Amino acid sequence: MDAVMSTPSQANHEIFIVLKQFIGEVIGQEFADELEIKPASSFTRDLEMDSIEIVAFSEKVKKHFGQQINFTGWLSGMDIDQLIGLTINDIIIFIQECQSSK
Amino acid sequence: MPIIEVKGRKVHYQELNKGARQTVVFVHGMLGNLAVYYFRIAPLLAELFHVVLYDLKSHGLSEKVRDGYDLDSMSDDLFGLMDALSLDRVHLAGYSFGALIALKAAVRCPERIDGLAIIEGPDPSDEEPLRIMMEYSKEAFDEWLEVSGIAMGRRQLERHHQLYEYIFQGTTMQDDVQKEKEFFSGEEVAAIPHKTLLIYGKDSDCVTAGYLLGRRMKDVRLMLVNGDHHVPVQSPDMVAAALLDFFER
Repeated sequence: MDAVMSTPSQANHEIFIVLKQFIGEVIGQEFADELEIKPASSFTRDLEMDSIEIVAFSEKVKKHFGQQINFTGWLSGMDIDQLIGLTINDIIIFIQECQSSK
Repeated sequence: MPIIEVKGRKVHYQELNKGARQTVVFVHGMLGNLAVYYFRIAPLLAELFHVVLYDLKSHGLSEKVRDGYDLDSMSDDLFGLMDALSLDRVHLAGYSFGALIALKAAVRCPERIDGLAIIEGPDPSDEEPLRIMMEYSKEAFDEWLEVSGIAMGRRQLERHHQLYEYIFQGTTMQDDVQKEKEFFSGEEVAAIPHKTLLIYGKDSDCVTAGYLLGRRMKDVRLMLVNGDHHVPVQSPDMVAAALLDFFER
C-alpha cells in the first residue's frame, strides 16, 4: 500500500475544500458561513452567486488548478441552462477527470 | 482579479489568449458586466484572437464613479484601457449601451479600430427602454418577479437593487444619456469609415435601430440572429461565429 496515494473520494473532498474556500473569498466569509455549502450546491440557485461572482470564482479555479484543466474551454461548451444549473460537484468531477487523465 | 488603473480609477478586466497577433476588445451594456462575454463568446473568439473584456465604471468589479456616463467619457475610458494595456489598434465589439460606446470610439479615433461590431445597439432617441429602466423601483421589481415566477434569492435581489439604485440615483447616468439622443441621426455615425457588422435579435425591440444604422452607415452588413435584445446570452454560438468570421477577414 502506498500511504501517499489518496483515494478518489479523499481527492474529491480535498478539491471540495478548496472550492468552498474560493466561494467564501468571493461572496464574503460572513455570508458563506450562513449557507450550507455542499457538493450538490448549485452556484446560482443555492449559493445565490451572480454572474460576476462566478467569473471571480472561475478565475480562482483557473489560477489554482492551472494547466491541469481547461476550465474556460469546459465552461464554453455549456448552454445557459447548464451554466445556471452548475453545481460544485460538476466542477469536482471535471477536475478529478482532468487530473486522473494526466 | 486583474485590476488595472485607468485615469486613477480601478478597472476590472480579463484577457484570454494573450500574445495572439490581433486583439478583440468587448464592451458590455448598461447594468451588465463582462460576464455576458466571459463564459461563451470570449473563449470562442480566443481560439484566434487576444480577447480583452472589461467592466465599465460602476459595473461588475470596477470602481464606482459618480459621473462621466456620456459617450465621449465612456469612449475615453476605453482608450485609456487600451493605452494601459499597450494596445494601439483593436477590433471592437459592443453590446447594447456598449455598442454606443463602440460607435463613439470609432467616430473619435477611427485609426485605432480595425473591425467594428455592433450588437443590439439601441437608438438613443428611443426613450422607451431607458424610461422603463429609470422608473425601476424595488417594489415594482419584486412584483414583476412574483408575476414572472423567477426565483431570486435574498442576497441576489439585494445586489440587484443596489446596482440599479446606484446607477440611476447615485450617478449622472440619466442626465448623461439624455444628451446622446441625436447620436444616430447626426453626421458622426454616417461618417464612420469602418466596415461594420450589425448583429440584432430577430425578435428584439431594438431591431429598428439596426435597420436605421444599416441605412445611415457607409459600409455595413446587418445580421439577424435568433433571440431578442439578449442575443449574446440566447445565441452566443451564432454571435461568436459571426464575429470570428467578420474579424478574421
